[in-house]
Amino acid sequence: MRAFRIDGRPAAPRVFALPRHVAGPLAVLAITVVAAGCGSTSASTPKTAAGSATPSSANLLGAAYDTSTPAQVTLNGAGANSIEPFFETVFYQYNQKNPNTTVNYSPAGSSVGVTDIQQGTVAFGDSEIPMTASQLAAATGGTVLQIPVDLGGVAISYNVPGVTKSIDLDGPTLAGIFDGSITNWDDPAIAALNPGVTLPNLAIKAVHRADSSGPGYDLDQYLIDTAPAWVTAIGTSTPSRTWPEASVGIGEQLNTGVATYISQTSGSIGFVEYGYALQNGFVNAAVKNSAGSFVAPTEASIAAAGAKATSLSPTDFNVVNEAGSGTYPIANFSWTLVYQKQTDTNTGIALGKLFDWVITSGQEDAASLGYAPLPSNVVTLAHNTILELESSTGTPLFSNGA
Amino acid sequence: MSPDAVSGLAGAWPAGRVRRALLRKRSRFGDGAYSALRWAGAGLFGAVVLGLLVGIGSDSSAAFAHSGVGFIWSGTWNPAAGQYGAGILVLDTLLTTAVAMVLMVPIGLGTAVFLSELAPRWLAGPLSTLIGLLAAIPSIVVGLWGLLVLTPIFANQVEPFLASVPALGWLFRGEAYGPSILLASVVLAVMTLPTMVSLSRSAFGGVPLADREAALALGATRWQVVRRAVFPAARAGVSAAVTLAVGRALGESIAVAMVIGNRPAIPESLTTPGATLGSAIVNQFAEASPGIGTSSVIALGAVLLILTVLVNAGGQALLRSGSGSQAHTAGALR
Amino acid sequence: MGRVFQGLCVVAMVAAVAPLVALVYYTVTRGVSTLSWAFLTHAPTPPFIPGGGISTAITGTAEIVGLAIVLAIPTSLLAALFLFERSGKLAAALRFSADVLTGVPSIIIGIFAYAVLVLPLHQFSTLAAAFALAVLMLPIMIRADEEAMRTIALDLWEAGIALGARRGRVARSVVLRGALPDLVTGNLLAIARAAGETAPLLFTLATPLAAMTLLIYTDGTQAFPSAQRTAWATALVLLSFVLLLSVAARLVAWRISRRAH
Repeated sequence: MRAFRIDGRPAAPRVFALPRHVAGPLAVLAITVVAAGCGSTSASTPKTAAGSATPSSANLLGAAYDTSTPAQVTLNGAGANSIEPFFETVFYQYNQKNPNTTVNYSPAGSSVGVTDIQQGTVAFGDSEIPMTASQLAAATGGTVLQIPVDLGGVAISYNVPGVTKSIDLDGPTLAGIFDGSITNWDDPAIAALNPGVTLPNLAIKAVHRADSSGPGYDLDQYLIDTAPAWVTAIGTSTPSRTWPEASVGIGEQLNTGVATYISQTSGSIGFVEYGYALQNGFVNAAVKNSAGSFVAPTEASIAAAGAKATSLSPTDFNVVNEAGSGTYPIANFSWTLVYQKQTDTNTGIALGKLFDWVITSGQEDAASLGYAPLPSNVVTLAHNTILELESSTGTPLFSNGA
Repeated sequence: MSPDAVSGLAGAWPAGRVRRALLRKRSRFGDGAYSALRWAGAGLFGAVVLGLLVGIGSDSSAAFAHSGVGFIWSGTWNPAAGQYGAGILVLDTLLTTAVAMVLMVPIGLGTAVFLSELAPRWLAGPLSTLIGLLAAIPSIVVGLWGLLVLTPIFANQVEPFLASVPALGWLFRGEAYGPSILLASVVLAVMTLPTMVSLSRSAFGGVPLADREAALALGATRWQVVRRAVFPAARAGVSAAVTLAVGRALGESIAVAMVIGNRPAIPESLTTPGATLGSAIVNQFAEASPGIGTSSVIALGAVLLILTVLVNAGGQALLRSGSGSQAHTAGALR
Repeated sequence: MGRVFQGLCVVAMVAAVAPLVALVYYTVTRGVSTLSWAFLTHAPTPPFIPGGGISTAITGTAEIVGLAIVLAIPTSLLAALFLFERSGKLAAALRFSADVLTGVPSIIIGIFAYAVLVLPLHQFSTLAAAFALAVLMLPIMIRADEEAMRTIALDLWEAGIALGARRGRVARSVVLRGALPDLVTGNLLAIARAAGETAPLLFTLATPLAAMTLLIYTDGTQAFPSAQRTAWATALVLLSFVLLLSVAARLVAWRISRRAH
């Protein structure tokens, strides 16, 4: 052992005297253990001991409702792109009222929302189509509650120079456009529905969703209901989240991708959530509903579709192609997904209060954003679903104050 | 003690194994802590490498078990219908990379020749710094530019024009959507250009001055010097440059996802939208259904990983055969 | 022939510089009008509520990159010292792995980070994102560090050992100090590269507002002009930051070469 250092001063006593061949691997082990033990530095929910806080009977929802929550909570959510304009606005407003609750929402698509809630990596998900039985079975945290939170429509938007008003389109014509049999804007099929409109000789560039989507599912359902040629072309009469005619036209990610493409490309036509079409100032087609009327998407026509959902539930959710002179035929509710058993009580309370606010006061902004307010029977369904939230020990988190 | 005296002293020591043995014996005392730290660093890195390979391998094994090895080259990628085949994605990946190289290599080589052989020194320095800065531009910014600036130009002007060119028009036939294999290739060419230029320049710079002077003395013109004296000697380095550029192009995912149009079907022409391994992972990983779905997307990653590792290993080997010290710059300047 | 050849090379040069000029031009012209002190310091707001900014993205990127640096630099320095001082099969294998790992697509590193830190812990986090970036930087830093040590400090190291100093002491006082400028250059370039990455963050962060690159991706793909303007402005901020780092790295390298004369 050396008693002095290179510059002549006495050495400090050695404290770490392991022989080399042990010291090395031991250090590796030590560092691995320390690294694994370090908690993550995420902005996610604070962890309280499971079930330690007994739910307060003062957590009322409904008439005696208040927005205050006991603890600072950050809720991370992911899901439908279609609901993003609505969610972004209402979450911001809710945070103004209740600074204790911060919400982050990642509008990566309905399927991402489903996957994330199945894996438990988010506090809530959102999907334009409710989860199927097999998807529910694959959820790792138990029963998933599905809460309808908004009512929106799917616009058929297009960018055709010279055509500044809504044109009329029906199921078979739309099917032709999206399966590639109608390739030009001056096709006789389109002209027949729109006498008096000058349609240019311009190639149709059809854009669809490259990812799984609610709007795609709804349009698929509509075309299955109204166009036998579509059913033949896709070979099934079950609608699918993934657009079935993926080799026709161009695929873009999310409503945002489709909207960008439509706004940039002359001759394009595609389907987007009406909220996006409204905010981009797109021209939308008036689509034929089952009563034979050609109806363009507006708050009123979407609301009329939602009003038909008299027995709405996660297994009976279809409001596509409803009848009525003013009913828009391509509409759907959006479903928020939360686990019934909340392992962290504070998170559960924050979630419940947030969404009870969203389905009531939050609906005031729906119309201006391109959605329609929820019909009262749906509000009741949503409210009752939220009341099913319970703590990890099975105690309900809320009492009904309504 | 001055460094010179010390190094003189060091030079007097016996060389090679004997010296190493002597040194080892001297420093066994008192180095436990330092040695432990060194092992820790190396061990952590080794753990990361192993973890990455093992993790990707095991997470994708379910997909390979389900679809067999044919997953790599067989047809349809249609997760909704339960069809998991990477064939078209691999095709599009190779195609975009190939077209990108066709566009980029002549330009990169010509630029490197200009900077190293033709340009006056006061110009070569700033210009090469400029090209080097292109390497620093984040791929998302290039993708943004491609999406918002290039796409309308391609859809409305470039692609229709190319389709009308007499001899080559058939390559660009079909509907001019904008997002396409061609556009993705252009974006990849822009991103791999700096690598090509800097590595080629190093390769040219490594050619001994004597070779050039010999050629000049024999009466060669500048072009002949380059062609006969410089190119042959720099062959390994230039090959390394191209190979590493290919490796970079294969792995680029975000920028490609923004401009390729996401259509996993056999492309009819270069102006058709497509989908590469990288773009498919970007778009579909988060929404893949847990189980076979996620495993198949990770399997796409495994295929991509194998491709890029092979190409990059080849490129690094070529670099080493050319000149060892370029190896680290390749990593930093990607 | 010579003239044609020279002409072609000049054309190639122009074609190479043109995209760079175009990129910077568009980013600056489309982004600068949205840029303001308020934009940089305010948190984001929903699309039609004015007064929003990108402060969360800027601080988020700083946090993630900072944490990644803390994770990567000590590890890479120690691993580089390991490779520098040792020979043999293990060192050769590690060196080869580092070379090969520099070429791994960043999206795969993102998947790795998701599998290791997001899925088991059931949450997206800054740590997962930082881990992904650290894994990205590690091989680049290790190889750059080792090369720096070999070219600058090999003789000095041998001298130090010959004088009987402990290896740790030699490493600290001689190798690291001697190769410091090169180490700084190499590491700064790696950090600049990591700061501009998007793919590793895609699967590890809870919200696109947590990092500039992710924000550019989500806002840039929106059809709203306001969102696209935000994307350009954020791209300008990111570009400036990354270019600054690269220029700083080159300045350091230039100063060494000056000092050496």
